[in-house]
Formats: sequence, C-alpha cells, structure tokens
Amino acid sequence: MWHITKREIYDNLNSLRFALTTVLLLALMLTNAIVHLREHPNRVEKYNKAVTAYQNRLASYANESLYLLAQQGPGDLHKKPSPLHFCAEGGDSFLSGTVNAGDPFGYSEDMTGVWKLSYPSVTPNLENVRPDAIKLDWGFIIGYVLSLVALLFTFDIISGERERGTLRLMLANAIPRHTVLIGKFLGALISVSIPFMLSVLMNLLVISTASNLHLNAEAWGRLGIIFFISILYMSLFLVLGLLVSTRVRQSAVSLVVLLLVWVTLVVFMPNTLASMTGEFSPSMLSGEFWKRYRQLHQELDEKYEDRVWTDESDTKTLTARSEYFAKHAALDERLNEDRLSLQIDQFRHARSIIRVSPVTIVQHLLESFAGTGFERHLQFVENTQRYALQFREFIVDADRADPESLHLIGVREGMSEKPVSPKSVPKFEDTLNLNEDFNTTAMELLLLVLFVMVLMSAAYLAFVRVEV
Amino acid sequence: MLKTLIRRELLDNLMTSRFAAVLLITLLLVVANTVVLIQDYEQRLESYNGAIRTHYQELRAAKTYSTMAILVDRAPNPLSIFNVGLDKRLGNLVGIYHGFMPTLWNAQMHGTDNPFIAFFSLIDIVFIFEVVLSLMGLIFAYDAIAGERERGTLRLVLAQPIGRGQILLAKYISAMACLLVPLILSLLFALLLLMRSIPLSTADFLRIAGIVFASFAYLSLFYLIGLLISVATRRTGTALMLAMFVWGFLILVYPNLIRATVNPGGDIQARTKIVEDQIQQILDEYERERQKFLEKEGIAGETSEFSKALGLHSYAFVDPVTLMSYVENISLISEIHPEFEQYAPSAKRYYNFVEPLSARTVEKTWHIRKQALDEIYVRQAETDRVLLKFSPVGVYDAATQAWAGTDLEGVRDFFSTARRYRKAVIDYLYAKEAFSSREWFIADKGAVDWSTLPQFTFERSTVGTNAKRALPDMFLLLICNLALFMLIVLIFMKSEV
Repeated sequence: MWHITKREIYDNLNSLRFALTTVLLLALMLTNAIVHLREHPNRVEKYNKAVTAYQNRLASYANESLYLLAQQGPGDLHKKPSPLHFCAEGGDSFLSGTVNAGDPFGYSEDMTGVWKLSYPSVTPNLENVRPDAIKLDWGFIIGYVLSLVALLFTFDIISGERERGTLRLMLANAIPRHTVLIGKFLGALISVSIPFMLSVLMNLLVISTASNLHLNAEAWGRLGIIFFISILYMSLFLVLGLLVSTRVRQSAVSLVVLLLVWVTLVVFMPNTLASMTGEFSPSMLSGEFWKRYRQLHQELDEKYEDRVWTDESDTKTLTARSEYFAKHAALDERLNEDRLSLQIDQFRHARSIIRVSPVTIVQHLLESFAGTGFERHLQFVENTQRYALQFREFIVDADRADPESLHLIGVREGMSEKPVSPKSVPKFEDTLNLNEDFNTTAMELLLLVLFVMVLMSAAYLAFVRVEV
Repeated sequence: MLKTLIRRELLDNLMTSRFAAVLLITLLLVVANTVVLIQDYEQRLESYNGAIRTHYQELRAAKTYSTMAILVDRAPNPLSIFNVGLDKRLGNLVGIYHGFMPTLWNAQMHGTDNPFIAFFSLIDIVFIFEVVLSLMGLIFAYDAIAGERERGTLRLVLAQPIGRGQILLAKYISAMACLLVPLILSLLFALLLLMRSIPLSTADFLRIAGIVFASFAYLSLFYLIGLLISVATRRTGTALMLAMFVWGFLILVYPNLIRATVNPGGDIQARTKIVEDQIQQILDEYERERQKFLEKEGIAGETSEFSKALGLHSYAFVDPVTLMSYVENISLISEIHPEFEQYAPSAKRYYNFVEPLSARTVEKTWHIRKQALDEIYVRQAETDRVLLKFSPVGVYDAATQAWAGTDLEGVRDFFSTARRYRKAVIDYLYAKEAFSSREWFIADKGAVDWSTLPQFTFERSTVGTNAKRALPDMFLLLICNLALFMLIVLIFMKSEV
C-alpha cells in the first residue's frame, strides 16, 4: 500500500497542478494574513475604546447616585472581537456588535422609567457604493478553493490509470483492491495537504510575528481543531473525486461531472435553499410587531394611568410608579426578546436546511471554533442577558443596604440617592466558552464524518465491482 | 469544406455527456433561482407599495407647510432579477425638503424584517451565468486542438486543402452554437416564469436582449481562453489543468482578492473635514443673516417672546460623514395663543425671508458637496470597478448592470430626479406664496390643501441611455474576443502539428 501512496505522491509532486496549487494557496493565505494585520488592530482598538466609554459612563452614574444607576442602566454592551477573526469572518457586517442596556423611556425628568435590554440590528451600510466582496478568510479559502483543488487532484485518480492501461497492470499484482483505493486516497490526501500546510504555516508565521496580536494557548488549540476540520472537509472532496473517477470511464467526463457537482453543492445550493426557506417561515413583520407593541403598552398604561400620573408623592403613588416602570421595562424587554427569538428561529431553520451542503457545515464549524459568526453572537446575547440579571440584583442589594431608602426601585423619592463605589458595580465582560462550542458543533462534525464514510464506502463498492 | 468541418464538430459536441450535464445543470439552477428571485422581487414591490401608501397618508396629516413630510420611494427594478447590482443595497427612500438636498448618501431603506437573513445572498441569473457559462466555455475548448493533436487527427485534417484559420473558425462556430443552447433555453424558461408574474415593457425586452448579447460575448471570451490554452499545450491533461486553474483564478480568486487588498481610503477624514468646514462657513453666513433679520425686526434671541410664541426651533448643521447640510425652521405649536397674535405678521415676514434663504444656502453648499462626494466616495468605487475589470467577470458584471439599470448610474438617476422634484416643490411653494402665508406655521385657519402638489414620478432611464452606459464594457468584451482570436490564429499558424 505504501508503494502506491508513495508513487502517487511522487507523481503529484512533479505535476503542474501541484505547482499551481501551491502558488494559489500561498497567495491567498498571505493576502489573508496581511489584511488581518491591517484590520484587526483597528477592531481591537475600537472595542477597547467602547469598553472604556462604557466603564466611564458606569462610574460617573455610580458616583452620582444609585438611583441614576438604576434608571440609566449599564449602557451599551460590546462584543469582544475574536483574535481568530482571520479564520472566519462570520457575517460580521450583519451581526450587531452591541446590545443596548439602557435607554429608559421618559416624558420628563421626574417621569423617567428604568433601563431595558434591546437588541439593535445592523442597518445595512446604505452609503457604500463600492462593489460587494466576499471576505477572504480561511472559510473562503478552505470552503471554495481547497475543495476545488481536491477535486482537481482526484478526478483522474482511477480513470486516468484505466485510460493509460496501468490499472490493469497494478491489479494483476497480488494487491487487494481496497488497498489500492486506500493507498491512492492517502497519496492524494498527502499531496494536497502539503501545499495547504505550507500556506497555513506561512499565514500563521506572518500573523504571529506581529507584536500587537497575541495568540494565546487556547487560540492555538482552536487553530489545531480548525486545521483538523479542514483536512476532514478536504478528504470529503477527495473521496467524492475518487468515487466519480471509479464510476466514469473517461477522466474528462469525470472532471465535468465533478465540476458541475461542485458548482451546485458549493456555490449555488447554500444561498438558493436558504432564500427559499426564508419564504416558507416568515418571521414577525415590523408592522405586526409594532401593532402588538402598541396594544400591550396601551393595556399596561390603562391599568396604571390614574395611579401613576398624579402630582402627589405619597408611598402609594411611588409604589405604583415603581411597579409601573418595572413592568414597562419588562414588557419592552419581553417583546424585544420574542422578536429576536423569532428571527433566530427563522435563521436556524434556514441554516439547518442548507446543512446538506458541506461548505455550509465547514464554514459554520470554522465560525464556531474561531469564535465569530452567529452562534457566537447568540452566546454574546446570552452573556448580556445574564449580566442584566446580575446588575438588577446588585441594584436591589445596594438599595437594601441603605436604611433611609423605601426600596422602590426606579423612583427618585423611593430609593437610595447615595453614590455607590464604582468598583462594586458589576462589570460586563464578554467571554467565549469552548465547551458550549463543542455541544453545538458536535452534531455538524459528526455529519461531516458521516458524509466522508458514506462516500468512502460507496467508492469502495464501486471500485470492487468495476471491470478494468 | 468549412461546412463539413462545422457539421462534424457540432455532432461531436452535441452527442457528448458533458453537453447533457451542462444543459441540465444550467436549466436547473436558472429555474430554481428565478423562482426565488421573483418571490423576492414581489416582496420588495409589496414593501414599496406599502411605503407609498404610508407616505401619502403622512403627507396628508401635515397641517402646515413647515411640517410637511414629503418622502419619495424608489421602486424595485424588475430587471434586478437578472443582475441585482446595487438595486437592493442602496437606500430606496429619501425625504424632499427645501432645506436639504436629497442624495443617495442620505437615503434610507424600507424596513427589512429579519436582518439575519441578509447572511444568505440571493443569486441572480447573471451570477449563475458568470460561474456556469465560463466553466462551460473552458470545458468545451480545452481539448479542441490538443485532443486532436493527441489522437493524431489534426494531422489528417491539415493534410486536406484547408486553411488553419478555417479550422479554428469551424471549431469556434460549432462550439458556440452548442453553448448557446443552454444559454438561450434557460433564459427562455426564466422569461416564461417572469412574464407570468411581472409585466415587462418593450424597453425591458430590449434591455434583456442587451444582457443576452453581453452573456454571449462573455461565453465566447471564455471559449477563446480555453482554445488558446488548447493551442498552446501539447497534452489535453495539461490543457485541462491550466484551464481549471485559470477559471478558479479569474472567477473565484481574483475578484475577491482584489477587493480584499485594495485599501479603502487614503485620507478620507482629512478630505471630508476640509469640505465640512467650507460648508459650515456657508451655514454660519446663513445664521448671521438670519440673526440680522431678527434684530432688524426687533425679535432676536432664541428665548425671545417671538420664538416662544411660535415654538420656533431653528437648526442648521452639517453631517461630517455624508456632508449633508440641513437647514430647518420649524414651528412646534398647533395654535397661536391670543396674546401672541401680535407676532403673526412678524412671523410671516420671518418665514418669507428665512425659508427662501435656507433653500438658497443648501443649494450653495450642494455645489461643494457634490464635488466632494464624487471625489471621496464615487471615485473609489470607480477604481474598484476598473480593477475588477481585469477579470472578464468584472466587465460582464458591469455591462449587464448597465443594461439592467441596477448600476450606480441607474440608482443615481433616481436621486437626480428627486433633486429635480425638490426644485418643483419649491417652485410650487413660491407659486402658492406659501412662505409668506399664515398656513406656513399655523393651522388655525384650516389645514393646507396638498392635492395640487406636483406628483413625484420616476422613470427608469431609456434603453438608449442604458446602451450608452453599457457600450464601453460591451466594446471591451468584443475587443478582447477579437484580440484573443487573432492571437490563437497566430499561434496555431506557427505551431508544429
């Protein structure tokens, strides 16, 4: 078997396609690294600035009074950029980098409610008249270019030998057919891996030499997993090439079939299918949302109208006011959350359908391990929700510590107006959790492995039964 | 002899499995995507119609001239199904106001319902052609000469009394005839689907014909690239490899590579700052004149009785990013208090002075702004497009966008119409003597009658204009075709068999 593998590798190393692949992959990976070096520091700086602004805002309110803190809330919470952004861009331009925890409703200074969580959506950049571009991340290089290269290495792996007549010679030796198949597969795998590995190493070398970008141990671990996934994805296409190459008599026909399969599977299917599912499961329309919003708010307002909007400031009014503010914010929050979860459901629905295309699986996996993309966004949203609870608890606890306070949160006369130490206020820190990644992505990894296994056994069956 | 050659080539090409596979895939992709695209178009049209109704009602609800809210909407382009271009990406809603100049940089979008769905891009018909037609062209061409050379039949053919150029011509004609089948068939299917749900005018059909012609030139260009490779190489295996890498590079890698590497920029901020300052000066001058008038009338000061009586808010600012200057004087009361009635004549004089002044000021800033916007934003986009044109995909994309009217020019047409409409609205206000009327700021003597306001209509540019915009790129495609063909003939003449 090793003989076959070795011969295959030697054959490939001398070929034109090997040289062209090396040049292409190197050029792409180096561009990726350079673009990352150019853009990532700006991203980090922007995030750091935003976090400083957030902390300053929090501190200034805390120094003022607990009441203001309870009213204004923590403000904008920001998503931490991933150091592995170059692996998968993850639709950054469609996902908002912030969740807003502030913005109390209000009519006048005394009549201001309390903060709530809301999820701003990114408005598309309407000013941009430059042509659209796919981000040149690893997801693109692996998903599109590497898969194409894998097909170009395997389309003639069996049919070529059959055309030249060497297959007959080889099978005349005492080698079982499955050994031939596996030997050839390993040969192709190693020959494609060499230029890929080379370009990845160059890419990482360039990125790690930059002094302002640190990749810690965890990031390297993630990169290792990403590399493993790419090899798995690549072997999927190698096996596909193997299968078609055994079934088809001429290598030219084999290539045409493979290219058409590739174009459909990789370029068209993901987007077309996703757009179709978008039509079948519509999310809540804006109009509907605002209708429901108005209706529920009207109900709430009617319930509290005569108790809240009075000039008196006895305990009864203040209690009603505090209750009203809390309910108002809770209602807003619930509506926002409902809408968000509907949008997420629709998106997930679309994503689960396009899992039939391996390129979506691999890009999704890459996003998960690079800490970008949709799942990461949801993690960020969860983090902010957890923090919101923590912040609310802190306000109640801090208020309880003040003996003069009436413990009516959200009303000036009803709660502590003493300043609190900025240090004691809980701070939001966005974190990334690898365990959770594994849970969400294990299924997809399995799916990818399953694809490879099924195709591999199909290729084996086809090769065993084929006449030479 | 040429006829025999063509017939033989045609049969050779038509009876292959690659032809069947290509036909099937193209039809499948085009039909499936057209269905999705039509749905998307209809959704956008619905959203547009809804927006028009809402904006109509909003305008009727304005009781005074100064609170008028004229919003105009851009209808989705039905030809965006062929090439969506910038049609979906740029704003389709802009306000018309005399103290503001509507441009594409200030436009907004009708609400989109799920922002996450933007993750998946819609694939338009031209994109399918970009990918599939080019692949087809190369697959049909790579073994045209190299294959015959390998099999030894080339020698036989050349032994006949026939020119080498003629052989190439025969190959070209027959292959193009074959390749046209999937192109035309899939377009026919798409058109049938289209006509069932979207009414198309004669002009639209002419534009579609332009798109078909561009597709034809694009297809032929890739066939010729394949033929060049085939003529220049000895073995089909090498030819195929080269062709595939050329395809991957031109279609997949180059367009994305060039857009990733071109740095957006230079020093935009410094440039905008200069222009912002210039505009700010004009606005300052406006403010000085306004103050002078107020002093002359003896009603100066933000907190004066006059301002309070009318609920007057006066703004003049410039936006540092889009350089938009906005000048507004707005009266925020619905009825005038009897004790302030004495200010009504001054108010009439004030508005009669200040509103034409703000319109003039904004027009003055527009001269500077237009130039700056072109220099800062448009020129960069143009550079990007020129760089993209080093790949045939870029040329083809630009040409079909121009035909469909979804290119930058096509979208900007809408905004220049909006600017003309702004002028018409101002003229209408002058004709009605609205600036000096009581209805300008107060509605106590009955609301404004909006029924005579000129209507906004936007016609897409004529086919002639589309053709003119598409012409350079069409020309480029044809020239490339011709040059390549000449090159192939030259190489083939010189090559040994």
